[in-house]
Amino acid sequence: MVGVSFINPLSMEGRERVRQLGSLDSLIQDNPELIELVTRSKSQDISEDQDIPRNYLEMALKRLEWYVKKRNDRDFNYRKFAFLFQEDIEKYDIISFYLLSQAIGVRFGPNSRESRLMVESQGSLIQNRLEELNSRERTEIVLKALQELLSQETVKWTFFENLLSSRRIQLSDLVLDQGEVIMDREDFRNRFGSRLQHRDPDKMYQLLIGQELQELILIRMVMQQTENYMAEVHEKARLMVEPNPLLLELADKVTEILIQPTTSYGGSGGGGGYSYTGPLNREAFPPCVKNALEGIKSGGRNDAIVLFITPFVSYARLCPDIFKQNVTVQVSDKDPELQVVHNEVLPLIYEAAERCVPPLFEDQPQEKININAKLGFGMHSNLKLENEGETKWYTPMSCEKIKLHLPHLCRPDEDCKKIGNPLSYYNRKNWILSKERTESEDNVGKEGYNEEKEKEDQANGWIEVKKDDA
Amino acid sequence: MEFQKATPEERRRYYREEWDIKQIPRFIRHSLYQREFGFDHHGRGPNDRYRTFRNEDHLRKFMRYRTPFEAYTSVAFYQKPNRREGWLKSELVFDVDAKDLPIRSCDCGSVCEVCLDQAKNIVSDLKDTLQGDLGLKEIHMIYSGRGYHLRVQDEEVLGTDSEVRSQIVKYLVGAEVPRSEYSNQGMTYNLEHFTVPFGYPQVFTQRVKQSILYLNEDILMEEVNKKLIKDVIKNRHLLVDDQWGPFRNAIGPIRYKRLVKALAFVNLGLVDAKVSIDLKRILRLPSSLHSMVSMKCTEIKNLETFDPLRDAVPRFVNERRD
Repeated sequence: MVGVSFINPLSMEGRERVRQLGSLDSLIQDNPELIELVTRSKSQDISEDQDIPRNYLEMALKRLEWYVKKRNDRDFNYRKFAFLFQEDIEKYDIISFYLLSQAIGVRFGPNSRESRLMVESQGSLIQNRLEELNSRERTEIVLKALQELLSQETVKWTFFENLLSSRRIQLSDLVLDQGEVIMDREDFRNRFGSRLQHRDPDKMYQLLIGQELQELILIRMVMQQTENYMAEVHEKARLMVEPNPLLLELADKVTEILIQPTTSYGGSGGGGGYSYTGPLNREAFPPCVKNALEGIKSGGRNDAIVLFITPFVSYARLCPDIFKQNVTVQVSDKDPELQVVHNEVLPLIYEAAERCVPPLFEDQPQEKININAKLGFGMHSNLKLENEGETKWYTPMSCEKIKLHLPHLCRPDEDCKKIGNPLSYYNRKNWILSKERTESEDNVGKEGYNEEKEKEDQANGWIEVKKDDA
Repeated sequence: MEFQKATPEERRRYYREEWDIKQIPRFIRHSLYQREFGFDHHGRGPNDRYRTFRNEDHLRKFMRYRTPFEAYTSVAFYQKPNRREGWLKSELVFDVDAKDLPIRSCDCGSVCEVCLDQAKNIVSDLKDTLQGDLGLKEIHMIYSGRGYHLRVQDEEVLGTDSEVRSQIVKYLVGAEVPRSEYSNQGMTYNLEHFTVPFGYPQVFTQRVKQSILYLNEDILMEEVNKKLIKDVIKNRHLLVDDQWGPFRNAIGPIRYKRLVKALAFVNLGLVDAKVSIDLKRILRLPSSLHSMVSMKCTEIKNLETFDPLRDAVPRFVNERRD
């Protein structure tokens, strides 16, 4: 039977394993037992030495590398990482989980892209490990792990506040009654059995709750705990004089893994792999951005300019592929002298603020400081490199958030259906426009280019993107 | 009834002759010192902000002397309310404004008895879900002058952040179509929302039903054409008895899917989501006068028997008629 800590390294069992760990020196020494386990793992396809983790540190990196490659690499070979799913690797897996979480917590903190990746990788690892188990084992281990996590008979929905806050679960995913989350079969039958007509309550339980919801809750809770653990480590490290050099070394290697080039998926799929970096192309802005740039005439000026336009314009200009990146980015990584920010980004934001009724800075001049803060330069009246990092460079709001915060701006067009974030719209639209430009240039060579006709065609909507491209 | 603006003299009479500090609900009076107050003195927006009152007497004197055009108080509790610093917690609030309902049962263009009644029904449904599904108990209902506020005081939700509140809003109003495909032991089953009589699918079913029953041919919805709206109106009598299956068949499964998707988006407008997710919002002070329409912002003891045109009309309005 697989141990709970193989699914949840932060369980009591997992923590106990860590406590038993001896000297830290052993973490970087070659470990013959680990090497043996990896090379003898079932269905492995390891042909090169570099594919074999030789110690705890390398094992930690393999955990993350598995996830990054699985997600991004078209040539990903699952069998090179088959050892991650062998129960007998558990001891090494737990220690490597803690090492990795601590390294990322110390160096990058809880709100970084690195920590997000760590959390996601842990969730994905649990999911894959559960799928490797037979049905009975899977049910038992999920129940056992959940019992420890929930540790009470009735669970109120507010117990999942952190999970709801991080959007790891949706309130509508849960089956709620009188404030309680219904997970137990008997409880389900007692509460809802009489309401179900012509349907077997047990079958309904299996479909609506059953294994699927329990696994979802388990996985998301472990992900949340992983994030909390990194936040705890980060907080402790802030108070300590110097973190363990081993962790810093591991953190450097984490960065190396995350920036490794990969043969990415989706290179030609509807602009999925396309990102255009260069002067802002207003033609490619989504309707919500165009509306906001025209100026906000009613309420919500602050949110529209500070929370919506500032992140959108800055990322569209400097880092349009942010959602594909694995590492934390600062404005100065893309614009070291801040020239682009001063000459292109801020003027556009200020222009939109000026167009508001009344002009935003007229009655709320402090919003200029808030704009600087959203670009990552702290609460200061001027953008200075020395202040960078005091606040986070806000990523653009998703469409879902816009619908809630700024519903009057959301007037979706045809292209909006294919995206979930205005920045993705911008990348996609740029891709479409560049494709159209290339095609029209080809037409010039072949049969002459009729600009007037193309304009007319565009106005009539006759130039369409093929469905396959989306 | 005409909803006219109150004159300065009428405001003075209201605050000096009719208003009483005890009409402010206890949940606000007991936390006066932790709340920010905001006032609009001239009908140009609440630009007198960051006001605080140490006790009821100070607030009473202020109201009587200044007779504000509008009065507001924060939903947030602060350590330093005069600087809006040291946020402690915020009431969970929902704002149902009769004039902003996405599908209206009248065409008054502003607020009338009919749309106020529709807003009241929505408030009743939201309250049922807050109690029945989310298990919340301390729910106060306020007539705001042009609609209703639901103000939840249960301690367990007061510390929640905007993200959690946005999830609560979406759950309450039915802003997302519940999934219809469920799998078990390798088999996939189809369960439409109306076949699940509890939890979120039931909430969604109720909200969609109300929207369909109020639907009119002038409504514009994404990917829903005139023909579909006509067919929905023609067949909606089936929903009065909850005959969802026949209704869906009459519409056709593909068009039905399109319809509920569009209605989910429309449902988001049942409440003003910005009000619910803003932790530092100021909200009209119950007992104060909504001077724009000359109505009293009133705490409701019994929603069923509450009639705004009887229970929230200041004396001076009745005297106007005389």
